[in-house]
Amino acid sequence: MSIDLLIALITGAALFGVGIYGALSQTNLVMIMMGVELILAGAMVNLVAFWRYLHPDNPAGQMFVLIIMTVMAIEMAVGFGVAIARFRAKGSVEMEEAVELKE
Amino acid sequence: MNLIAIAILAPFSMMVLILLLRRAPAVLALFGATVSLVASSGLLSSVFGGTNSELLLPGLPDMPLRLVATPLTALLSTMVAAISSMVLLYAVGYMKQDKEKNRFFASMLLFISAMQTLVLAGDWVLLLSAWELIGLSSYLLIGFWYQRAGVKSAATRAFLYTRSADLGLYIAAFILIDNAGSSDIATTLSTGGNAAVVAGLLLLVAAMGKSAQTPLHDWLQGAMAGPTPVSALLHSATLVAAGAILLIRTAPMLPPETLLVIGIVGGITTVITGLIALGERDLKRMLAASTSSQYGLMLLAIGAGIPLAALLHLIAHAAIKSSLFLGAGVFQHSRESTALVDLQGAGRDRPRIFFGFALAAFALAGIPPLSAFFSKDAIIAATLASPDAMLLATFALTGTLLTGAYMARALHILWRGEKQTREIAGLQWMGAGLAVLVILASILGFTFTTIETLLNNHLDESTLAQILGLSAALSGLALGWFIPAKRLLGPLRPWAMQGFAITGGFDTWIVKPAFAIARSCEQVERGLYACVAGIVKPALAISRSCEQVERGLYAMVLAIGRLGLRLGQAARFSDERGIDGLIYSLVNSTIELGSRARMLQSGLIHREMAITVVATAFILVSALLALLVY
Repeated sequence: MSIDLLIALITGAALFGVGIYGALSQTNLVMIMMGVELILAGAMVNLVAFWRYLHPDNPAGQMFVLIIMTVMAIEMAVGFGVAIARFRAKGSVEMEEAVELKE
Repeated sequence: MNLIAIAILAPFSMMVLILLLRRAPAVLALFGATVSLVASSGLLSSVFGGTNSELLLPGLPDMPLRLVATPLTALLSTMVAAISSMVLLYAVGYMKQDKEKNRFFASMLLFISAMQTLVLAGDWVLLLSAWELIGLSSYLLIGFWYQRAGVKSAATRAFLYTRSADLGLYIAAFILIDNAGSSDIATTLSTGGNAAVVAGLLLLVAAMGKSAQTPLHDWLQGAMAGPTPVSALLHSATLVAAGAILLIRTAPMLPPETLLVIGIVGGITTVITGLIALGERDLKRMLAASTSSQYGLMLLAIGAGIPLAALLHLIAHAAIKSSLFLGAGVFQHSRESTALVDLQGAGRDRPRIFFGFALAAFALAGIPPLSAFFSKDAIIAATLASPDAMLLATFALTGTLLTGAYMARALHILWRGEKQTREIAGLQWMGAGLAVLVILASILGFTFTTIETLLNNHLDESTLAQILGLSAALSGLALGWFIPAKRLLGPLRPWAMQGFAITGGFDTWIVKPAFAIARSCEQVERGLYACVAGIVKPALAISRSCEQVERGLYAMVLAIGRLGLRLGQAARFSDERGIDGLIYSLVNSTIELGSRARMLQSGLIHREMAITVVATAFILVSALLALLVY
C-alpha cells in the first residue's frame, strides 16, 4: 500500500468525521445537510482513492462516484425544497421544532 | 190497451209517482182514482153492450193470470172506483191539516188498485195476491196515526184477525184448483160433492174474517183508529166488502148445507152486531158495528140462495156507509171527538151535513124510495122464499128493526143538544165528496132493475116482504128516536157494551189457538234443540281431541324450529368468534405492532442520527474484532 493511498484515506476519514460531527451537532436543517454532504464527500474520496491506486484499469469506480454525485445533487434539491417550504410555513428551519412532521 | 189494465194500473202508477215526487199527492191521487173510474165505467158500458173482455197475463206454468170483465166484476169495479174517488175527494179536505199526506194518499191508492185487482181477478192466484194486498194496505191505513196510543195494536189486531181467517181462503183455493185442475174461478165453480161443501165452509171462514162476522166481528170497531176516509173506504167498497164479494162470486158452487151455515152466521151477526151498535158510545164505532150487521144481512141473502139481493145491498150499502162515515168525519172535526156524549147537538152545527147524514141514515134503515129499501126488501123476500124461511126471515126482520133503531138513536143524539160553532178547514172538499155519495145513496135504488137486466137475473116482487120490511124499519126508527138505548136494551146492555164477546170472541177464536200453536212450536223447537245438541256434543268432543293433536303437532314443529334456530345461532357464533375472531386478532396485533414500532420514530433527527452512528460504529467494531479473532 503506497503512502498516497494512506493520505487519501486519512483525508477521506477526516471529512467523514467532520461530516458526522456537523450532522449530529447542528440543529439547523441547512447545516445538517451540509454535514451530510461532507459525509458523502468523504466516502467519494475513499472510492476515488481505491480506484486510482488499486484498480486504475476498471472504470466502475469512476462511474460509482459519478452516480453518487448525481444522488447528492438530487438530495440537495429535495432537501432545500423541504427547507424552503418549511421556512415559508413556520418561519424557521430548526429541526427540534419539526417533530410534528412525523405524524 | 185494455181498460182492465188501466183501471188497476192508474191508481198504482199514481202511487208510485207520489212516492217518487213527494208533492201534490192529493191531485195525483184524485187523478188516478178518476182515470180508474173512467176505465171501469168504460168496462161497464162495454159489458152492457154484451162484450165480456178478458186479459191474460203470463203466470204459473199452465195457469195464466186472468183478469176478467163480466157484468158482475165490471159492476163491482165501477162501484169501487166511484166510492174511492168520492172518498179521496173528501180526504183532500179531511187531511188538509195532516203532515203526512204523501203516505196517506199513496196507501189509499195502493188500497184502491189492490181492490180493483181483487174484483176483476179471474183466477184464484191473482185473487189471493190481491186479498193479501188489501190486508197489507188496510194495516198501513188503520195504523196511519201510529204515534197515537192504541193505534198500532188496533192495526195489528185487524191484521191478525183477517190474516188468520185468510187461511180458510188459501185452503179453499187449493182444494178448488186441485179439483178442477185449473186456477180459473169460472171453471172451479163447477166443483161439486164433498169438495164443494168443505171449500164453501172454508170460504165462509175467510169471508167471516174480512167481513167481520160473529165471532170475528171484534176487529172492525178497533179499525176506527184510522183516519175517517180510511174507515169510509174500508167499510163500504173495499176491505170488508171483499168477504161478501168472495161469497157472491162463488155462490153458484155452494151446496145447500153450506148455504144454510152461511145464512145462520149472517143472521146471528146481524142481530148481535145490531145490538152492539145500539149500545155503543162512539159514533164511528157504532157505524162500524152497523157495517158488520149489514154484511150479516148480505150473508143472510146468500144463505137464502139469492146472491143478487146481497149484491144489490152491497152496492147500496157502499154508498150509504161511506156517506155516513164522511158525515161522521165532519162532526169529528167539528167537535174534535167521536164520542156520542161530545157529539150531542153536532148536527145543529152543520145542518146541511146533518141533512146528508140523515138522508143516508134513512136510506140504511130502508125508507122508500131510498136505495137500501129496495135491497133490504129483496133480502127479506129472499129469506121468506127460502126453505128455512122461519129462521132466516126472523133474523132479517130483527136486523132491519135494529138498523132503524140505532140509526134513529144516532140522529137523535146528533140533533138534541147545544149548538157550537167552529171553523173547519177544507169543508168544501168534504162537502163535495159527501154530497155526491149521498145522492148516490138516495137514487141507486132506481138503477137496480137495470143491474138485474145486466146480470140477466130477476128478483121476484113480494108485497108481503115490502110491508114487513117497511113496518120493521119504521118501528125501529120510532123505538130508537123515542126510547133511550138503556131502556131498549134492558138486561142485554152490559153484554152489548162488551161487544158480545160470545165464547170469549177474539180470545177464544184467535188468541188461544195462536198461543196453543206457539206453545207446540216451542215444544218442537226444544226437541229440535235437544236433537241438534245431541249431534253437536260429540262433534264438539271430536273437535276438542283434534285440537289436542293439533297442539301436540304444533309443539313438535315448534321444537324442531327451535333446534334449527339454535344450530344456526351456534354456526353464526363459531363463524363470528372463531374465524372472524382469528382474522380480527391478526389484524389487531398487526396494528398493535405498527403502533409500537411507531414509538421508535421520534421525529428527532439528531437522536436518530446519533443512534445510527453509534449502532454503525458498534457493528463495525464488532466486525473488526471478529476479523481480528479469526
